[in-house]
Parts: sequence; C-alpha cells; structure tokens
Amino acid sequence: MTCREFEHRATALTLWELSQAQDQQILDHAGGCQKCAAWLQQQRMLAATMQTLQARTAACAAGPDVERALLRVFRQGTSRPVQPEMAHRFTPIAMRLSRFFEVGAYVLVGAAIVVALFLGVRLLEQRSINVPVKSQVEQPSVTVPSVVADKSESQPHPPLPTVSRNNVNRSPTRRVQSARMSSPDTTEPSQTIPDADADYVALMFCDPLSCSSDAQVVRMELPSPGIAASGGEQDAQMRIADVVVGYDGVVRAVRIVN
Amino acid sequence: MTDLTDEQLLAQALAGNEDAFTALYRRRQGPIFRFALHMSGSWLIAEEVTQDVFMFLIQRGRDFDPSRAALGAYLFGVARNYVRRALERNYSETGLSSPLDDEAQSLTVNSDPGDGITRQQTSTAVWKAVLSLPEHYREAVVLCDLQELTYTDAAEALGCALGTIRSRLHRAHDMLSRKLQHSAAAPGISSVTARCLS
Repeated sequence: MTCREFEHRATALTLWELSQAQDQQILDHAGGCQKCAAWLQQQRMLAATMQTLQARTAACAAGPDVERALLRVFRQGTSRPVQPEMAHRFTPIAMRLSRFFEVGAYVLVGAAIVVALFLGVRLLEQRSINVPVKSQVEQPSVTVPSVVADKSESQPHPPLPTVSRNNVNRSPTRRVQSARMSSPDTTEPSQTIPDADADYVALMFCDPLSCSSDAQVVRMELPSPGIAASGGEQDAQMRIADVVVGYDGVVRAVRIVN
Repeated sequence: MTDLTDEQLLAQALAGNEDAFTALYRRRQGPIFRFALHMSGSWLIAEEVTQDVFMFLIQRGRDFDPSRAALGAYLFGVARNYVRRALERNYSETGLSSPLDDEAQSLTVNSDPGDGITRQQTSTAVWKAVLSLPEHYREAVVLCDLQELTYTDAAEALGCALGTIRSRLHRAHDMLSRKLQHSAAAPGISSVTARCLS
C-alpha cells in the first residue's frame, strides 16, 4: 500500500472508525511509514479531544418550554382538519390588521380621488360662469356707484363712497390715449369712458391704472378757479367732484359733479 | 410510537396526531439542538433554532419528500439554514460564548475533580477550535464527528456530494489539529489528550 492509497483509504473512514484502527491494511502501512503513522496518531488525538466535547454535550437538549410552545402551536394548527391554506392560520394578528389597514388605505385614496374630481368639476363650472362676468369687467368702463353717478340727486355732500377697482377699471393704454386726446377742462367723453361716466376726465402725465390694482372714487370739493383767484367767498362757489384715486394715491381721473 | 420510523411519525403528526408529533420531537430535538449548539456556541440560538425547525415541520412538513433524503438529514438541513440566519443576526451579540462554562458544567460527572477540570478545559479548547473553523468545514465536523452522521447522511443534509464531505473533513481535521497544537500550551489539554489516548 502506498501513502496515496493509505490517505485515500483513511479519508473514507470517519474519525471514529479511524481512531479505532480496525483496518488492518491501514495499520500495516502506518507500521512501516513514519509519516503516515504520525498522521494516524494525530487523527487519534483529534478523535479523543472531539470525544471530550461530544461527551460533554451529549445530554444537552432543548428546554421544556420549547416543547410546550411547539405543542401549543401544533394544537392550534390541527384544531381543524389540515387544509392547504393552513399557513394562513399562523398569520399573526398584526399581519391581518395590516391587511385591514391596507384595504382601508385603498378606500381612502379612492374617496380622495372622487372628492378631488368633484371639486375640480365644481371649480371648472364656477370658472365657466365667471367668464362672461369677467368680460364685462374688462370693458373699458368706469362704473360709479349710483349715489355718485346719479346726477339728479341734489345732495351736496353725500357720503363719500368707496368703490372697488372693478367699478373704475379701464384699459390702461386706451385710457392714456384718451387722456392725451382730451383736454383737462373739457367734459367731452373720451373714447374709453362709457356714456354713463362720460364726464370723467383722465388726467395727463399720470400712470395708467393697473388692472390688478385697486382704485377708489373719492368725492371732494373743488374751489372755483375764478373765485379762488379773486379771494371771494368760496363756499357758494364750491364744486363737487369725484376723483379716481389709484392704488398708489395718485389721482387718475376727475369728474365734476355740479 | 417508539417502533415507528420518523417518516411514519411525521405522517401521523401531519394528520393531527399529537402523540406522534411529540414522539418525533423527543426523538429528534436532541441532535438538532446539539447541532445548533456546536455550530453557534450559543445555548439561546440552539433553543431558538430547535423551535424554528419543528415549527417549520408543522407548517411545511408536507413538503418533505422521503425519496430524496431521510427525515433526520432533512431536519439537519433545515436547522443548518436557521443556524446561518441566527448567526448572521446574532453573531456580533453572542460572539464565541461557550455554554460549557456554565450550563453544561453540571453535565460533567467525574469522580476526580482535577480530571473533570482538565477535561472541561480540553472540551472548551476543542469547541473554540471548532467554532473558529470556516462555516462549511464546521458543518462537516459537527455533523460527522460530533453528531456521528455517516458521510452519506451528512452529504444529504448539506446538499453536497459525498466527495465534498470527505475533502472538507480532511481539510477541517488538519486545521483542527494545528489549532489544537497551538492551544496545547494551555495547561491540562495535552495531558488530557494523552490520557484519552491511553
């Protein structure tokens, strides 16, 4: 037997079989080969040391708690005839709850989508309703409250009204244009001022009203230029005027009421 | 129940026979526990793995195919996977703690106290050497040398060829011998080894 055959034969045996050394051919070769004898001796020592560990842990076993827990699970699992869906029986409660919440989340998302669609439709409807109103607003007109616009009223000092921008809004470019075309003291209606407010005169060298800005109409008293110049009594000669004041405090237009 | 084979006990257990399951558990839990104990060096992991293996058997026992392997080898294969998972999860926490130092100390029954101490030191050194082996070598050593499985059963449990087991064992024995020679300087180990040989 060669050393190679010895090694091949020895590795086919377990450590315990090798340590018992019942294979005569192996023993014979180890008796004549010092190297293989040393290897065999090493394996015997290893088997002996492994045996100490094996003997030490031979009585080790799982505690009774493990058996109790397993039997509890076994009873739960076999309380009904074993079905293919038996795995679901072991599904923890948390998993079932998570499935419940998952379904709830889907329902909530669906409801949110429906509400969003409903609100979107409502918003579109409102916009479609507002479109003609907006077109009316964008007309270059100055709408003065009735208390201001009503010329037949003879109230000398009516309460000063405050009107919104929409009521005096005009196209800025057209308004400037009209202001340049008309003289300050004329009452001729400009091209941009509608008939109802034809007596408003846009002032020159003022910035046009911004479409996004607010403007106010302020009723005020103006002294007559001739009386003021002669130093006469002013009260009898006062003139009432409506002044359009822009968002920046600059007077944009004026109308003589009386 | 004692005369029934593992496969017969499993079939009855899966049919709902609690006694069959108990008999199968009591027959197989020891080797499974010791395999996990030798592989991990942790008593807690060994108990956890034992419980997981039999839980797996309760839930997935129908997947077992007797024509492919014996139930014992099948259970070792399942235990091996659970040990790997547990080691990946707990290795940093458990380290190489050896239950021989505490729980298993009471298992030693020896009339000579000095002999018991030296044997304990030897077994601890061997265990540390086994635990320091790479995992695939350790599996072969634990199954074949400590659990005394045949090479065929070990190959089935580890899912590899018979020659692979032999070569792994051969290499593992060489590594263990070298490790133990290095640790032989520790008092008692060489003397116990010599005493075991005599």
